[in-house]
Amino acid sequence: MNTTATNDITLSVIIPITERFDPISELYYKYKSSIKATGLSYEFIYTLDGEQPEALKELIELQNNEKLTIITLAKEFGEATALSAAFSKANGDNFLTLPAYQQIENEEIPNLVAALKDNDMVLGHRWPRRDSFLNRLQTKLFNFLLRLSTDLKIQDAGCSVRIFTRRVAEEIHLYGDLHRFFPVMVHRQGFRVIEIKVKQSKNDIHPRIYAPGVYIRRLLDLLTIFFLVKFTKKPLRFFGLVGTTVLGIGVISSLYLIIARLFMETTLADRPALFLSSLLIVLGVQIIAIGLIGEIIIFTHAKDLKEYKIDKIIN
Amino acid sequence: MDLSVIVPLYNEEECVTLLYQSIVKSVDTMGMDYEILFVDDGSKDKTVPIASELASHDTRLRVIKFRRNYGQTPAMAAGIDHARGKILVTMDGDLQNDPDDIPKLVNKIDEGFDIVVGWRFNRQDKLLTRKIPSRIANWLIGKITGVPIKDNGCSLKAYRADVIKHIPLYSEMHRFIPAMTSLAGTKIAEVKVKHHARMYGESKYGLSRTYKVLVDLITIKTILTAFSKPLFIFSIVAGISAVIGFSALVAALMTDVDSPTIVFYSIGVLYSSLAVVLLLWGVLGELIYQTGDLKLEHFARIKTNTQSKSR
Repeated sequence: MNTTATNDITLSVIIPITERFDPISELYYKYKSSIKATGLSYEFIYTLDGEQPEALKELIELQNNEKLTIITLAKEFGEATALSAAFSKANGDNFLTLPAYQQIENEEIPNLVAALKDNDMVLGHRWPRRDSFLNRLQTKLFNFLLRLSTDLKIQDAGCSVRIFTRRVAEEIHLYGDLHRFFPVMVHRQGFRVIEIKVKQSKNDIHPRIYAPGVYIRRLLDLLTIFFLVKFTKKPLRFFGLVGTTVLGIGVISSLYLIIARLFMETTLADRPALFLSSLLIVLGVQIIAIGLIGEIIIFTHAKDLKEYKIDKIIN
Repeated sequence: MDLSVIVPLYNEEECVTLLYQSIVKSVDTMGMDYEILFVDDGSKDKTVPIASELASHDTRLRVIKFRRNYGQTPAMAAGIDHARGKILVTMDGDLQNDPDDIPKLVNKIDEGFDIVVGWRFNRQDKLLTRKIPSRIANWLIGKITGVPIKDNGCSLKAYRADVIKHIPLYSEMHRFIPAMTSLAGTKIAEVKVKHHARMYGESKYGLSRTYKVLVDLITIKTILTAFSKPLFIFSIVAGISAVIGFSALVAALMTDVDSPTIVFYSIGVLYSSLAVVLLLWGVLGELIYQTGDLKLEHFARIKTNTQSKSR
């Protein structure tokens, strides 16, 4: 499993720093003490998403006393890109990502590390929650929508405390804002992903209210994941069903209008209803066409798009 | 290598050893060079350790371990992809199929058939939840594809490797392999096979979801018709759309100027634009087909092979 590591580090701790972060050195020592408790050899990697002079200054000060790697992205690429930059520099067998602010109680970290034994990825699930009702409602809603649109049934996709093997990091291509869906992508590649309950830190309770744009972006991300999961599996089944329904409604109402014109003497040309039903027919045909094209892609390229992932072959 | 026996396994720790022994016992009598492929579909019990232990004593047994549970079709597809034999036999891992039937199936392949399908003529399953839905499904598959196979759900099948290796397998398609290939003119034989009641464990895969089978069937029929000539298919629909659009425009021109013709005009434009877009979709489809791996020739080649053998 360990292909590129030159020294014997077992755990790479990766901390991406984006807009929100707590005092860096204080948190560093907290994290360090709990990781020491696992008894593994470790390294710390900080990635800064874009130039952040304040954070960088603090880190450099910290570097005088402690051994750590600092990566700075030339501009803001998003947390997921910051993570994959760190993956390429990390030497450990296993990777642990931690947020730059405290999400969970530190003493829970060894439990997460221990749970990696039989799995490829272990996620933290903050439970019981200590933060406000509004926060919890947002989290609940987001995770509910996520569960609805993917096969992976997780309770807390917003928790950035995740531990996984090097193999996972090497195989998954992360970019942009997709770090929230990292577990979903890992699961799709056939890895075993589990979630274990961890105590939420009391520092993780400030209310989170974002600009409306942020919510819209989240929703679009969810939509992307939904189509990625559903479309790539069976496009014609999914789009065929939607398209046939729309087309059916269009055809039935068109027929009704034509019959009404022929036998009931109502005029056809001045009725916008005819326009609506034609629109539905056109839309339905288009949706089916998209599904068919998708299915043709999968059918003719099925030999490349393997549905399964093999762990190992004996003999 | 002459023969590969492919068995998908999912939580079958009680059966593995017995299964291995009975396959070896019945295939050894045939005097062929063979291999057994166990495909572990992400079992959570001791299936893999037991199978690995068996494989360490016998190099003819190969074990493919999936990362997690994917379902029966991907398991079969993995077995088929990795098999080295000229004839492939697939069967269930729950001992409901009898390995003693393997020689019968292989003999049929030697007679010149491309696919030999097992028919569980005295099926040992529950009537209401298994047998009746499966009857309905088989009848439907027969009606739609025109190939009346009595038992599509039976996993015990034998294939000529060069036929099956080209067929894309995903979703629940393993049930339809005979139907799919028959559209291209393969020779299919049916052989009565024994079927035992379940000795251990619960049934993991069922044919109870007739609705799903039906949707799959329509999909497969559509894709088989359209995949090799998308431009043609899309042109037909585009043509119909163009005719509607054109007649709406003519109607708009002929209508009295006083009456509101705006609706007819818009409908005419709408359908005409649909026709154009559909033609473009067709061109795109053609491009995808040209760059893909699977060509109609793969099915056609099967046909000529079969004919030359059957003569």
